[in-house]
Amino acid sequence: MTRYIVRRLLQFIPSMILIAFVGFVIMELPPGDYVSNYIRAQALAGNQDMVAQEAALRQQFGLDQPFLIRFANWTINLIRGDFGISLATRMPVSEIIGSKLGATVAVSLCVFILSWAIGIALGVYSATHQYSKTDNFLTTISFIGLGLPDFLIALAFLVLAWQLTGQVLTGLQSPEFIGKPFSIPLLLDFLKHLWIPVTAVVVTGMAWVMRVMRGNLLNELGKNYVTALRAKGVPERTVIWKHAFRNALHPLIGALSQTLAFLVNGFVITSVVLDLPTIQVTYLDATQAQDLFLAGTILTLIGFLVLLGTLVSDLLLAWLDPRIRFS
Amino acid sequence: MEILRKTGNQTGARIARKEDEAKVVSVRRLMWLRFKRNRLAVIGGIFLLLMYLAAIFAGFIAPNDPTMVHSQYVSMAPHGLNFVDTDGNFHLIPFVYGVKSAVDPATFRKTFQIIPEEKYPLQFFVRGSEYTILGIFRTDIHLFGVEEPGKLFLFGTDTQGRDIFSRVWFGAQVSLSVGLLGVFLTLVFGSIIGIASGYIGGLFDDIIQRVIELLMSFPQLPLWLALAALVPDNWPSDRIYFAITIVLAILSWGALARQTRSMVYALREADFVTAARYSNCSDWRIITRHLLPNTMSHIIVIATTAIPGMILGETALSFLGLGIRSPLISWGLLLTDAQHIRVLVQQPWILTPAIFVIATIIAFNFLGDGLRDAADPFAK
Repeated sequence: MTRYIVRRLLQFIPSMILIAFVGFVIMELPPGDYVSNYIRAQALAGNQDMVAQEAALRQQFGLDQPFLIRFANWTINLIRGDFGISLATRMPVSEIIGSKLGATVAVSLCVFILSWAIGIALGVYSATHQYSKTDNFLTTISFIGLGLPDFLIALAFLVLAWQLTGQVLTGLQSPEFIGKPFSIPLLLDFLKHLWIPVTAVVVTGMAWVMRVMRGNLLNELGKNYVTALRAKGVPERTVIWKHAFRNALHPLIGALSQTLAFLVNGFVITSVVLDLPTIQVTYLDATQAQDLFLAGTILTLIGFLVLLGTLVSDLLLAWLDPRIRFS
Repeated sequence: MEILRKTGNQTGARIARKEDEAKVVSVRRLMWLRFKRNRLAVIGGIFLLLMYLAAIFAGFIAPNDPTMVHSQYVSMAPHGLNFVDTDGNFHLIPFVYGVKSAVDPATFRKTFQIIPEEKYPLQFFVRGSEYTILGIFRTDIHLFGVEEPGKLFLFGTDTQGRDIFSRVWFGAQVSLSVGLLGVFLTLVFGSIIGIASGYIGGLFDDIIQRVIELLMSFPQLPLWLALAALVPDNWPSDRIYFAITIVLAILSWGALARQTRSMVYALREADFVTAARYSNCSDWRIITRHLLPNTMSHIIVIATTAIPGMILGETALSFLGLGIRSPLISWGLLLTDAQHIRVLVQQPWILTPAIFVIATIIAFNFLGDGLRDAADPFAK
């Protein structure tokens, strides 16, 4: 097991560098850089003095150096934990990301726990009651859920909430609670806002988990070992939960890698329309403004999370299933 | 067979063979039968067929010019067909009331009131604004409409006073074709690279596989956003359309190439390929005559399952203002107004195009599911 972990960890490093490189290249691709955009905007606003400062600005941000050197500097700083500064706000990137992390994790965790818990439960039910009325109903629902874009559901909820209560529930807090210390009314207010994004994203996430779970479990239940267990007189509950379910969980664990990234950046558009203070909105703004270090860091962070997710899911699978460990 | 013929019992053999043939069902027919069994897939397919037809004949279905600004009727709620008038009388042919607009002195908001005396019955095949079908046929006959000065806004109007119902059908042209075009690109890219990678193997295969893994390790949406942000603002809208299609296709060929590769890899050692190689077939012939036909149905099915994702991607990008830009119309673009929450809560009908997006995606999901089963008719 130790050898397996070490081997996986070693594979981790080159992939990480490649991902950082891709992230950096993508941010570099557009014609012009942040400084030229900034100066154009300033010149349009009548501030001609900035044009003279172009070279100085570029030097200040280190944009005058060749591409590879910039990338190397950025990567080395990244490893040191220094993510550079945001070109637009002149704030350290780590500070910006840190300030958004709380809200992002809060929403994401709720989404993750709810969608997996509900999805797995419904999936198991639907597989063990195949072709029953409930199963048909759930299958149809999951299909529809897969087709629903979460941001449209969120918008529909928003309209609904407005028509029922007369409140526009964007963001995660009402204005009067922002920056206030923790209290019970604050928590209630937070929950009041939280349900819209969470429900909207859970509907789609849950549908997917449910479909995968149902398919896998049906597959497992058709196998010979299940028949053998049943023939032995093992109680149905044990057959399903102790044997079939554990095997059926594999593909879901394998999908964990994508899930981790989804949690950080899966519902960009929902965040934008609901004006959530999450990292997704920051990312979108940064890409549009070509805020190189900020957008690049977030993109790399996402890639990193995918790799981490892959690592975790591989290790989990190896731990769960000796066949993988020893092959 | 040979032995039977020699023994002279030819007629008997022939009858037996004929009976055999009657029982044999071609693979294509098996696929069709299998597909037909999945009723949801058939419904999805029919629905999509109708949607694509409607998109082609958008000008015919839409009663109004989609770009026409009705400045008197800005942000008007859906103003539909009535069968029963204000006096409770029933009309067999539905009609539309005339509308007069006024500005509320307190809120400065436009209000609309129907004029009970003015009734415009619905008419079929009316003459209206000029349009072309597929850019070839020029005509001005619309499926339905009402006589001037009556106005028919089935889904209401947007913040600039354009008819949402008409815009939905014109938007369908872009939104539905983006998926097809994107998948076509994916198909070409993915199958060429997949076949090459599987057939050549070795170092080339390794490199391609690593690149695909790298590409797939990024979640789609953030990369789409980053790439769509690269498209310059000042491009003409048709060029942006193609750029967006390419952006959508760039990230999805990987999965397809992988599937193709694994299939080619398995087939490469199959007896019929070995036989072809020994009979001195060129690589090109082996690929086009033996490998492609054997993988094509699978590849196409995998590709169809990517269409809904692309339509959704286009909707999302256009919604955020990174995708299709006017004067082109797309479903995502129609929804952009909904980003302003104040506008949305006061005019929730601007979300109507979302229903079309959702219905199309669900239909594609159903169809894809049916096709996947049909592509493998021998599975249990």
